[in-house]
Order: sequence, then C-alpha cells, then structure tokens
Amino acid sequence: MNDNQYIYQAMFLLDNGEVREQGFNAMRDWVKTTLEKHGATVKVLRLWGERPLAYPIAGRARATYLLGWIEGTDKTVSNAKQEMYLLGPVFRNMFLKEEEIPAEELGLGIEVIKDEDVKVLDDTPVVESLFEEEEEAESSETKAAPEGEAEKTKAAPEGEAEKAEGDAPKETGSKEGEAAKPAEAAAATPKTEEA
Amino acid sequence: MTEETPKAPAKFDFKDTETLLRYLDSQGKLYSAKRTGLSARQQRQLKRAVKYARTLALLPYAG
Repeated sequence: MNDNQYIYQAMFLLDNGEVREQGFNAMRDWVKTTLEKHGATVKVLRLWGERPLAYPIAGRARATYLLGWIEGTDKTVSNAKQEMYLLGPVFRNMFLKEEEIPAEELGLGIEVIKDEDVKVLDDTPVVESLFEEEEEAESSETKAAPEGEAEKTKAAPEGEAEKAEGDAPKETGSKEGEAAKPAEAAAATPKTEEA
Repeated sequence: MTEETPKAPAKFDFKDTETLLRYLDSQGKLYSAKRTGLSARQQRQLKRAVKYARTLALLPYAG
C-alpha cells in the first residue's frame, strides 16, 4: 500500500431498522466521522435511495443506500472498511477508484435532509420465511427418504423371495428329502418304543 | 428475425440498473458480446458494472 491520494466513489448499504430508530442524519454522520477518523476527506455524502435488495442479505429485504465521494489513501479505505464491517449500521459497502468527481455530484456536497423526509419501509421477515422453507424442504426430504428406503427394503426381500422361489425346487427337493428322513425315523421310533 | 440491440451508453454505470438490465436475460445472466454487439472494451465495462451492481444487491446473481 502506498500513501498516494485517490478519489473514491463509495456506496454504503444502511440497515433500515437502525435508520428508522436513530434517523438518517445520525447514520450519515456516523459514516462521515468513521471515514474522517481514518484520514479520508469526505467530498460528497448523500442519500441515493431506499429500495428493495435484489437478494436478501442477512434477513434484510430492503436497504437505504448512501452514496459518497471521498479522497484518501488505500490504507484509509481498508481501515474504514474494517471498522464498518465490525461496527455500525453499514452492512455492505463498496469503494471504487475514480479519476474525478462529477460536477453534478460536487454540487450536492454533504446533503442534509430531514429525518422525516427519508421514508424507510418495513422489512419483510426474510430470515424466518427462509428457515421455514428450508425446514419444510428438509422435512419433505426426510419423509421422502424413508419411503424410498422402505421401498428398497420392501423390494429387496421380494427379490430375495423371488430368488428363494427360483431356487426353491432345488432346495425343497433336498429339504424334502431331509425332512422325509426324520419323519420316517419318527415313524420308525414309535415302533421301537412300542416294541 | 433480428433483435434490436440497445444503444450503448458512453460509460456503463453500476447505479444505472435500467440500462444494465437491458443486457441481462430473465435469469440475470449477461448476454454475450455477440448478442450485445458491444466492442470488447465496452463488454468488459458492462461486465464490471454488472458485477458491482450485484455486489450491492442492485441486480440479482444469475440462477
């Protein structure tokens, strides 16, 4: 890592629950102070939008997007990322190196909006539904598996039975012969007893 | 039957999901350069923008 200063475009995904509880401005200030603490110069930091996520992230279905343009070193960015990963309302972030800050963005600066103006919709409980689906899938699998096994176990004796039946004439012949011998012996013994 | 290829912007931005969606199929997979009709450089820019958008959950992952 070198100490060269770069311009970064940054996007932060804020947890809607925390934005609702503490207000958008508090969350924006937290991001700003975190970046500045690690030596970055925040040029622009504004609300990009509150929108649904294309896929659920840790049970969240929606997020508040914060767009920023900052100036800093590689180390600044990596340290800020590390802190945001461990603490605070930011659950995902991305920093991209850019050549310059667009004039339209520079005009916006650090946007101040009333907390009431930031409409944060309720998150649907994605985690519960996901777990329910998984549990249902698992239960259906476990139900299906014994049946399959049962079919196998049922099928196996039939096969064996068939085999036994197929082999039966040979075995029965010998067994009948063996069985006939004791019967003959039994029939002979009473005679001896009587005698 | 020839499909109309969308007019490519000067630079692909990961935030411009409406534009990016025109280059994705219903599964979220990126069309080939043959189909998009973009140059190799533009196709690379598009690919990068789509991947950034996916990281930020602006676009879905394919599948």
